[in-house]
Amino acid sequence: MNALERPCAGDDGLDRERFPTLSDHGRRMLDFMRGHPCAPLYRNRSGNRLLAHEVEAQRAYERSVGATTIGWTPNVAPAWVQDFIEDVFRTVPHYLALGSAPRRLDDVAPVARADFAADIAAFVPDHVPLERMINFRTTGTTGHPLLLPSHPVVAARYAAFHKRALRRVGIEPAHGRGQVGVVLLGYQRRCFTYVSVSPAMGESGLAKINLHPDDWRDPAHRAPYLDALAPEIVAGDPISFAEYLELPVTRPPRALVSVSMLLLPALRARLERRFGCPVLDIYSLNEVGPVGVFDAALGGHLLLQPRLYVEILDAAGRALAPGEVGEVTVTGGFNFCLPLLRYRTGDFAALAFGPEGPLLTGLSGRRPVRYLARGAWINNIDVTHALQPFPLPHFNVHQQADGAVVLRLAAGALGLAPAASAALERLFGRPVAVELLEADGKTLQYTSALEGAHG
Amino acid sequence: MNGYGPALETLARRLADTPPDFLDEPRIGNAGRMAVAAVVNDLLRLHGARAPLAALRPFEGANARADRNRLALAAIVAWLLADEWFVAAGLQQAALLHTLADLPAQLAPSAPAHAFVGDDERREELLRTVLADLGYRPLGETPEQAADRLAAISALERRRLLEASRAAEARARAIREALAKKVADESADKWTRE
Repeated sequence: MNALERPCAGDDGLDRERFPTLSDHGRRMLDFMRGHPCAPLYRNRSGNRLLAHEVEAQRAYERSVGATTIGWTPNVAPAWVQDFIEDVFRTVPHYLALGSAPRRLDDVAPVARADFAADIAAFVPDHVPLERMINFRTTGTTGHPLLLPSHPVVAARYAAFHKRALRRVGIEPAHGRGQVGVVLLGYQRRCFTYVSVSPAMGESGLAKINLHPDDWRDPAHRAPYLDALAPEIVAGDPISFAEYLELPVTRPPRALVSVSMLLLPALRARLERRFGCPVLDIYSLNEVGPVGVFDAALGGHLLLQPRLYVEILDAAGRALAPGEVGEVTVTGGFNFCLPLLRYRTGDFAALAFGPEGPLLTGLSGRRPVRYLARGAWINNIDVTHALQPFPLPHFNVHQQADGAVVLRLAAGALGLAPAASAALERLFGRPVAVELLEADGKTLQYTSALEGAHG
Repeated sequence: MNGYGPALETLARRLADTPPDFLDEPRIGNAGRMAVAAVVNDLLRLHGARAPLAALRPFEGANARADRNRLALAAIVAWLLADEWFVAAGLQQAALLHTLADLPAQLAPSAPAHAFVGDDERREELLRTVLADLGYRPLGETPEQAADRLAAISALERRRLLEASRAAEARARAIREALAKKVADESADKWTRE
């Protein structure tokens, strides 16, 4: 088959399962997105998979999430947590083996990604039906692939938290029949791409596309295709947004939603200027879904899930006081296939409490790294500050065992290398080497082989 | 069997009235509050016995998955054995330690420890097992009646455990298969992808 043909054009006979409630309007939307003359090569298939009653439930869920405040206070678990613990100890094999439900949350032994990787089936409640189970594949930054159990209803619920975050900046998504609601952007050599429709919003279109030139018959089709779709919301990560910035699109979305990686302020500012719309930076994990949205005025990521209790734990599993940095650990969540009980996320932050509820401050993907600079230890936050003026979509700062410092940048950002490395040289007081960063997706921003770098 | 112990109903009441302190979180590593080794040591002293340090080691847990339920049950058994009838019975230190260490290890996989306090059937199972282990039978029962009843409960329990274990294995296999199916891999729509 010619690489330019679209392998996923048309119905392969399974669209009824992918789109159980599909009407002629929805079908036309799918055909429009797949069949547009500038459409990319859609490599995969996906669907909302929602049954009619689940579409109704989704609308109610969104209303409920939108109307609920998050009112818990430091280190006091909200009332629902004890019932949740008892339910989990009654129905989840991993916890059944531990015996009776503890009477306090801090008596529950935390779990981490390694526990999921060792036996994910032990974390799925006994009552969850398996017929419609889906998975979310994740490699995290540690590189161990893991299939997380989920469900179409769970996937659909993401929208409720994004809408909650959007509403804070005055945006009420209003897309409906005949419009494209959301485009998810990727920029990778291999990327899962598809078209779909959102039945809870009038079968508006949803497309996941890869901006990498290899996925297009002509890379010049990217901008006209995005203009033809004219999505209300564009979601992506700093790497795909850096590419999106360069495209001559003329119909900007009402908002951009960034997930997965650290969004440096300079890139965020460029995006806001270029598209004239708010850019939401959302802290989200496959295991938990959207956790918080960044708000510079509040000084951190405001929590988004009413049924997610967050603790900050030290290495020994003790809950830390507000303001102290430790591992972000979550209880609850909205994935009924994978209830979370003191799940250590592997990310680090402190808890703070603002007028709109709890927030995470100083969030850092993975354990903080300290660097040796001018004979003293400095925090990786200092490196973030040094790099703030540069719109780097993707980078890694590594200190070698002998103290030498390397700045790795994606190919598209090498033009910024002289200025960025000079900023780091001022910080470290020594020369900084620049290398090409060859990685797709999530990368550890801060690494070190120096003894003592991890405290 | 040596002879009669107390009536089952008397002991069942004692179990049902287990004080919250004995139902607290067993101390394992730096988690939990109830030091079960100390509870066992106190019980032995109540019985006029002293335990060498090595004998208390099994009551200090190393990891929650292996030890939490067993230790929680050991504390409940300790509360039971602090009943005045047992204290007056002149039980040997070795026998007490056996009942406190081995029975919880044997029964813990079958149910959450607190079910042996709150659930009628589990309570009877624990009481009969403890009495038999110490060489006694419930007041008013012949040795044959007591042995038959314990055997019946044990057989039922073994069958239940076996079925539960098979069901758990089948369920885990089904989950792994469901996750690995192509349709599961195909996923469903999310507004964002991490």
